[in-house]
Amino acid sequence: MITEFISMNGYGLYVWLSFSIVFISCGIVYYKTRKTLKKYERDFLVELESLSIEDKKLALKTSKVAQQILATNSKIS
Amino acid sequence: MFNFFSSTNIFLLIQKIIKFINSIFFLILVIGLTFALVLSPPDYIQGDSVRIMYVHVPSAWLGLACFSFITFLSILNFIFKIKNCYFINKSIAPIGLLFTCLAVVTGSLWGHPTWGTWWAWDARLTSMLVLMLFYVFYILVFKIIKEEELIIKISSIVAIIGSINLPIIKYSVEWWSTLHQPPSIKITGSSTIHSSMLLPLLVMLFVFMLYAALIFLMKYKTEIIRIKKKNIKRI
Repeated sequence: MITEFISMNGYGLYVWLSFSIVFISCGIVYYKTRKTLKKYERDFLVELESLSIEDKKLALKTSKVAQQILATNSKIS
Repeated sequence: MFNFFSSTNIFLLIQKIIKFINSIFFLILVIGLTFALVLSPPDYIQGDSVRIMYVHVPSAWLGLACFSFITFLSILNFIFKIKNCYFINKSIAPIGLLFTCLAVVTGSLWGHPTWGTWWAWDARLTSMLVLMLFYVFYILVFKIIKEEELIIKISSIVAIIGSINLPIIKYSVEWWSTLHQPPSIKITGSSTIHSSMLLPLLVMLFVFMLYAALIFLMKYKTEIIRIKKKNIKRI
């Protein structure tokens, strides 16, 4: 039964190759997009850390985005 | 009202939607794959090769939908100069290119057992290839040109010219005699696809749409962070 399912009546190569190409490509794009997002979040935090304490407080007070990125990354670390 | 559409509120909303999609995606993917590979019946002519349809058709639809959306936003941006359209288009274009490439590749893999050839220069296949090239031009504009105003102008022109190809893709199978079959699913009029195949197709379309939304939101979030980083430098 499993052999039948894999062979798909002789069309297995085409069917499995199609599904594999789609899911591998989508996986690679997801991984690369996530990696870029994390890189930008880290760069943002480095930029935030480089500010003086006063400026950092001001940035965190005025920017919800900064608060969110800081909160997410501190959870991860 | 307009305050709701501020980048901060959008950013917070994106975080929540990404979490939601991540929580349901795997479950819907498993359901979709079970329908597509196990539960749906083989075609009476094409046999099990018809299962390629469950990845080929959603890819093609999303490839077309992304370019239509890009064109619509390009026109809006061209007329009303809404900067958000620029960031949305920049985030959508790679997704559209991915799905168009996948539609071409999986179409080729479906074509070999069905038509006996990997590729034919027929109207539908060629117009999809042209769409792929337009996506490449569109993305290259963002990569090559540095000045934002010029990017908006040139990318809008590429999108508007490329949109001429969209009705050609849609009606190519009706206007010309092609290897590609005519549409089985019609919004107006009766569809020729059986419900046992239509349901898995719709589930797989939903899976692809969720994936596209996830990638778009991650890319858009990256753009917001990039802008906010510039603002922090000003402090």
